[in-house]
Amino acid sequence: MMEENDNIGTPQEPPKKHNKFVQYFINLGARIKGWFVDKYTAVKDFFCGLFHKKTEEEKALEYSGPQLSRGEKFRRGLKSQSGWLFVAPALVLMAVFTFYPIIAAFVNSFKQSYSGMTGKFNGWGIDNFVRVLKGDTGTGGADFVQCLVNTLILTFISVPLSTLLALLISVALNSIKRVQKAYQTILFLPYLTNALAMGAVFATFFKIIGTQNNTETVGLVNIVLGWFGVDPIDWVGLRSPHWQIGSLSIPWAKYVVTIIYEVWSGLPFKILILFSAMQSINKQYYDAAKVDGASRWTVLWHITAPMIMPQISYLLVTGIMGGMKQYSAIVGLFGVTMGQDYDMGTMVGYLYNYIELGQTGYAFAGSLILFVIIMIITYFNNKITKKRTTYR
Amino acid sequence: MRISIQHLTKVFPSRTKGGKAVHAVEDMNIEIPSGQLVGLLGPSGCGKSTTLFMLSGLETATSGKILFDDQDVTTLAAEKRGVGLVFQNYALYPHMTVQQNIRFPLDNMRINREEGNARALDAARLVQIEDLMARKPHELSGGQQQRVAIARALVKMPNVLLLDEPLSNLDARLRLQTREEIKRIQRTTGITTVFVTHDQEEAMSICDIMVVMKLGVVQQIGAPQHIYDDPNNLFVANFLGTPPINIFKGKIQGGKAYIGEEAVGDAPYGDREVYVGIRPEGFIYNPQGALTLNVDHIEVMGRDKSVVSTHESSTKPTVRSIIDSDVALPEGAEQLKFDIKPYKLFLFDAETEERLR
Repeated sequence: MMEENDNIGTPQEPPKKHNKFVQYFINLGARIKGWFVDKYTAVKDFFCGLFHKKTEEEKALEYSGPQLSRGEKFRRGLKSQSGWLFVAPALVLMAVFTFYPIIAAFVNSFKQSYSGMTGKFNGWGIDNFVRVLKGDTGTGGADFVQCLVNTLILTFISVPLSTLLALLISVALNSIKRVQKAYQTILFLPYLTNALAMGAVFATFFKIIGTQNNTETVGLVNIVLGWFGVDPIDWVGLRSPHWQIGSLSIPWAKYVVTIIYEVWSGLPFKILILFSAMQSINKQYYDAAKVDGASRWTVLWHITAPMIMPQISYLLVTGIMGGMKQYSAIVGLFGVTMGQDYDMGTMVGYLYNYIELGQTGYAFAGSLILFVIIMIITYFNNKITKKRTTYR
Repeated sequence: MRISIQHLTKVFPSRTKGGKAVHAVEDMNIEIPSGQLVGLLGPSGCGKSTTLFMLSGLETATSGKILFDDQDVTTLAAEKRGVGLVFQNYALYPHMTVQQNIRFPLDNMRINREEGNARALDAARLVQIEDLMARKPHELSGGQQQRVAIARALVKMPNVLLLDEPLSNLDARLRLQTREEIKRIQRTTGITTVFVTHDQEEAMSICDIMVVMKLGVVQQIGAPQHIYDDPNNLFVANFLGTPPINIFKGKIQGGKAYIGEEAVGDAPYGDREVYVGIRPEGFIYNPQGALTLNVDHIEVMGRDKSVVSTHESSTKPTVRSIIDSDVALPEGAEQLKFDIKPYKLFLFDAETEERLR
C-alpha cells in the first residue's frame, strides 16, 4: 500500500544534553548568530524603507508618540544605523585594495604604451591584448601562450592527481587505528613548510650536478635512477630535455619535477579535508555494505567517494583556481627566470615578469585574460560539480 | 533456515584501564525453527541489538556458537552468511536511486544487469514500492524508506532476515501498518526472521516466538501469549502488557496470599514476603469482593472501562483495573471491592523476584 502523507523522513533525535562548558559556547554561538540576524533584518528594513513611498495611512500609523526635536531624530537615526560604522573600515580597505585595482586594471589595459612611472600613454585601444596574445612584446620577456600552456598542463595534471592520491591516503589513514594520530601529523607537515624553501630542496634533489668536497655529484633522484640503469637526466638545469612544437616548448622533465612538487605540497590539505569528511560518514553504511558483500574497491568507489563528493569537488574547484595562480613553486624550483627563457613561466609569473620589466600595460592585459579564463573554468567547474554533488 | 544459538556470550572490554568489562550478552541459548518470526524484546541496553549483530556477523562472539541449520557460522564473515540486515536508520545510500540501492547486493554478487534488475523489481513488488524505483532516498517518506531497506535485504534471497528496531522511526499509525506488512512479507517469503524491539506491544502482535531479555540475560522464551499468561519473573510480568500489570507488596500466610489484611487468592507455598501481580483485566467487580481499592476516577473507553484507583500496598502510584462497560458500578463510590481471577494473579518472591508456582 502507498502511504500518501507519512512524511516522517529521517528521525528527529532529542536535543543532546551538554555539560556546562559546552553549553556556554553553544549559547554564545546562538547569541552571536542572533546579533547578525538582527542586523540583517535592520539593514533590509532600512533599504526597503528607502525605496518605498509611504502612503498617508502608513505615515499616520508610523509614529504616534510625542514629536521629537530635529536633533533627537538625527541622533536616533544615527544610532539605528550604527551597523554601517562597524563595517566601514573593511569596506574602505576593500575599496582601496580590491575594488579600485580591479577597475584600474580593466581601464589601464586599454591604454596603449602605458608607462607605470609617468602615467603617460599613447591613446586607447586593444594593442596590449593583441601583442600579449601574439607574443610580440618586443622586450624578451615571457611568452603568453607558453605560460598559458604551462599553467593549464600543470594544473590539470597535478590537481586531479593529488586529489586522487589524497583520497587513497585518507582511506588508508581511516582504516588504521593505532598510530593514526602520528601519521596524520606527519602527513600534515608539508602544509606548514614554506613553498620557496621546499622548492629549493626539491631542486637540489633533482639537480644533475652538485659539488661536495670539490667532487662532482648528481642529485638524489638521479642516484636512485642510476640504480636501475637510467642515465642521469638534467631535470631542472640548462640541458633539461624538452619537446618543441612550433614556437612552443614542452619541457617535460621540468613538468615532472613541478607536478611531483605540486602533488606533494597539495596533499596535506586535501588529506585533512577528505579524512575529516570520511570520519563523519555514518558507520552504518559500511556495515550495510559489509553484509551485502561489497568489496573494498566497491566500498571506496560506490560509497565513500560519492558520500564525500562535496568535499572532493571543493578540492578540485579550489585546487584548479589555485593552480591557475601558481607562481611561488616555480620560482622556488627554477629561480626568478622561471626556467630557461621563461619556458616554465606561469600566468601569474607572466604578470610579475612584465611588471618587473616596466611594461605594466601587458601585465594588465594578461591579468584580464587570466581573469576571463578562470571565470570560464570556474563556470564549467560549478556546472559539473553541481551535477555530481547534489544528492541531498 | 534453522538457527541455533548456543551459550552465546559477548563481552566488550572496558575502554578505560582497570574499568569494568561490559557483558552485553550472557550465555544465551535459543533454538529457532525454520520460517519463524522471532522478536528479541527488552529495554535499552539489554543486549538485543548485540545479539542481532552477532547473528549478522558484524560483531564477533566472545564465546559460544551460532549454527545456521547445521553449519557453524560463528566465525564466518558477514558477507558469507547470507543474511539480510535492515538497519534502524535504514542505511540507504543517499546518492543511489531506489533501484540502485536494491540492486547493490546483487551487483556485489556479480549478477548480470538484466537479472539484477528483474530481481530488484520482484523485491520491490513484494514490498510494494515498484513505482518509486527511480527516486532517491531523500525523496521518500519514512515508511517508504523502510520498505526499500527491506527490499534491499530480501533481494539476495537471504537465509535469515534480521531487522534492527524496524519500526522505531515510524509514527504510530504507520507503525501499526508496517508491522502487519512485515508479518505478511515474512509469511510470503518463509524466511526465518529475527527482529529487535523494545516495544512489547509490537513484539506481542507479530512474533511467533518472543525472547525477553534483561541486562544481557534471557529471561523467558516462548509464544507471546504464553509468556504473557505465564511470566517467569517479576521483570517479564512488568514488561509485558498495556496497561501494565499492577504490583502490590504482600505476603503469604497459611496458604493464602494477602495484600494488606485482605486475602486475594490461594497460595500453596511457604509463608514469606511476596509481590502480588494482578493483570488489569483480572479484576471482577463484586460488592463483597476480596480486595478494596480507593477509587480516584473512572475512564470510560466504550468497550470497557478503566477504574483508576490507589492502594497503599501498590508499588505504583495508581492501580488500574479494566472491567466490562456493561458492569454497573455504584455512582460516586469512594471505595470499590473486587474479586481477583486466579489465573490473572501472579506471586513473586520478594527477594529473588522469581515467580512462585
